[in-house]
Amino acid sequence: MNYKLNIAWLYPDLMSTYGDRGNIICLTKRCRERAIDVTVKYITLETNNLSLPECNLIFMGGAQDRQQKLASEDFLRVKAPVIKTMVENNIPALFVCAAYQAAGHYYRPYKGKDIKGASIFDLVTVHPGDQAKRLIGNVAARLLVPSEIKGELIIGFENHGGRTTLGNNIKPLAKVISGRGNNGRDLYEGALYKNAVGSYFHGPILPKNPVLADWLIKKAVEIKYGKKIKLALLNDNLADLARKSILRKMNINYD
Amino acid sequence: MTPRDSLAYFSGKAVHKTGKYLKIGYGGTWPGEIALKISPGILKRLSKSVGIGTVLVAGTNGKTTTSLMLKSILQRNGNTVIHNSSGANLINGVVSSFIINGSFFKPKPSDYAVFETDENTLPVLLKEITPAAVICLNLFRDQLDRYGEVDVIAEKWERALKLLPGSSSVILNADDPQIAYLGTGLKAKTVYFGINNRKLFINGIEHATDSLFCLKCHHRLSFEGVYYSHIGLWYCRFCKLKRPRPDFSTSPSPLPGFYNRYNSLAAFACALNLGIKNDTARQALSSFAPAFGRQEEFFREGKKIKIFLSKNPAGFNESIKTITGLGARAILVMLNDRIPDGRDVSWIWDVDFEKINPNIDVTVSGDRVFDLALRLDYADKKFQYAQKAEDALKTALSKMKNKETLFVLPTYTAMLELRKILTGRKIL
Repeated sequence: MNYKLNIAWLYPDLMSTYGDRGNIICLTKRCRERAIDVTVKYITLETNNLSLPECNLIFMGGAQDRQQKLASEDFLRVKAPVIKTMVENNIPALFVCAAYQAAGHYYRPYKGKDIKGASIFDLVTVHPGDQAKRLIGNVAARLLVPSEIKGELIIGFENHGGRTTLGNNIKPLAKVISGRGNNGRDLYEGALYKNAVGSYFHGPILPKNPVLADWLIKKAVEIKYGKKIKLALLNDNLADLARKSILRKMNINYD
Repeated sequence: MTPRDSLAYFSGKAVHKTGKYLKIGYGGTWPGEIALKISPGILKRLSKSVGIGTVLVAGTNGKTTTSLMLKSILQRNGNTVIHNSSGANLINGVVSSFIINGSFFKPKPSDYAVFETDENTLPVLLKEITPAAVICLNLFRDQLDRYGEVDVIAEKWERALKLLPGSSSVILNADDPQIAYLGTGLKAKTVYFGINNRKLFINGIEHATDSLFCLKCHHRLSFEGVYYSHIGLWYCRFCKLKRPRPDFSTSPSPLPGFYNRYNSLAAFACALNLGIKNDTARQALSSFAPAFGRQEEFFREGKKIKIFLSKNPAGFNESIKTITGLGARAILVMLNDRIPDGRDVSWIWDVDFEKINPNIDVTVSGDRVFDLALRLDYADKKFQYAQKAEDALKTALSKMKNKETLFVLPTYTAMLELRKILTGRKIL
C-alpha cells in the first residue's frame, strides 16, 4: 500500500538558525526512498493552524533570541495548543534546541522574567548567568529510549546557554558519553514524551543519526495507518563514515 | 608613545624579526599580542602615526576584498596606507600591522590605515580608535559557536557606532536591513550604498536568510525584490520603515560574483566620502587584483585552479552561483572544522548544494569530508571524495582536460592548506 505523510515544519524562516533544514531534507528523502509520499507543510507566523492537524510528523528547530521572541507569542497562543493535543495523541515530533526549551514549562533567563513555554514537555530550562559558559561542542550519547532503538549511539553538536532539567512525566532520551547534554550535571541528553523527541543536538540531528530519523518515520506511518510496519533498510554507508570520523575525533571506541 | 609603549613596540618588533628569521608562520598576530601584553593601551598611541584617517571594514562576507580595494584606491591616489593584509583581523592583528610596517623603534607615519575587523573586534577597536570611517558590509549567520548570533553582533555594533563623533562617517549597506538600520540615531555621518537594478532580482527567497523582520516594529519585511539571501529592496508594510536611498549605487566591479559588486561599491563610496576623486577610484578598481584565496588563480598540470573562499551559507550560495555563471565543469569543495572555520559544521545543510549543475564533476575533501559527502548525497549529487587536500586535488585534476578550470570552494583553513600546497609556502 502507498503511504502518505504530511510533515509540519514549524517556523522554517524563524526557527531555523543553523542547518535545521537538514532534518527536513533527511526525513523527506528517507521517506521517498521507501515510496512513502511526503508533503512538507511550512507553518510560520502568518499560517493559521488549520493545516497542523493534517500533519503526521512535527519538526521545530533552533532560533536566535530575537527570532524566538517573534515566534514565541504566536507559538504559545496559536500553534502550541494544537501541537500539544497532537503529541498527546502520539503524533511523533522532534523539537531541537530553542524549540526543545520552548516545549517545556518555562525558560528562566539570567535577567528578566521567566519566558512561558508550551508545557508540551515536563521540563524547565534555566540560564545560570551571563558568566556561565555556554555548553558548546561535539556530543555523543547512548539512547535510553525509545525501546526499539535503545542502546544506539547518537552524535551531534550542542551550543546552548540554558540548562534543562526534566520533570517526572518525561524520560531522558540518551546518556551522554562525551559532551555536556541537557545541563552538564546529570549527563542526560534530550527527552522523550510519548513519541515526541526533544534534543540539544542542534541543526541537523537526523542525517547523521538515521536510526532516529527512521524511528520517527515508522511511528508517523504506524500512528496514521494504525498498524505496525517495517521500513526497508537504506544504504547508510556515508552516515556511518561521518559518525565514525567524529567518534574518532572524540576518542570514543565504536563497534 | 610612553616608555612602556616603546618597550612593548620593540618587543613586538623583535618577535616579528625572530619569527621571520626562523620562518615561523605566526607573523600576523604575535608581534601585536606581545605588545598588547606589555602595554594594553598601545593601539591608541600607535594610531597617532596615521596622518589623515583610519577606516575599519566589518561584515560577515567581503571584508578582506573590500579593505584591499580601498587600499588600492588610496594608493592610486598617492597615499601611504597601512593595512592588515594577511587577514589578521583581531586587535592583535591590527597592532601587529603597525609594528610590522614600522621601524625598529617606532611606527612609520602613514596617510591612512585600512583595517578589516572581525565581527566581535569592531566594538573593541572603536574603544581605542576614532576612525574617519567604518564600513559595515553585511551580517549573515556564520560560526555561531564562535561569533554568537547575528542579532547579538548587530547590538554590539549599534552601541559602539552610537558613540562615534560627527567627524566620523559610517558607510552602510542600504540593502541589508540590519546594516541599514544601524544608521538610525548616529552622531556620525551616514553614507549608504546599495544596488538599484530590478533585472538582478532572484526568483523567490533563499533558505539562508537572517534579517527578514523589521528591526523597528518586528513585523515581517516585504521586498520589492531580493538580490541574494536577505539583501534587496526591502520595506515594512506596517511601520513604513524602508531601505534608505543609496548615496552610491554604481561603481566599477572588477571581480565576478554578485557580492563583489557590493564590495566594490562599499570601497568606492568610502573613498569618495574621504574626498578621493571619482576617476582615481574608478581607475584603481578597474585594475584591481584579488586578495589571497578570494578568486585567486593558480596553475598546475596545465590546468587552472581558481579559489573561492566559502565559509558560510550566504557566501557559499553566492560562490555556487558565480562558478555556475562562469561555466564551471569541475569543483572541489573543502570543509574543515578548525577554530577559524567554526567547530560546528551544521551550516552545510543551509547551503543550496542542490543547485550545483548536474554536469559539474564534484570532489569533496577536508577534515569533515564525510559530513560534506553525506550532505551532497542528500542533495542527490554524484561526487568523489578524498580526505587529504593533496589527494583530493590530484583526483579532481586527473578527471579534467587540459586548460580547464578547477573551481575550489574551501573553508578558511582549508584554503590556507590548499594555498600552501599550490605555492609551497605559508602566508600566515
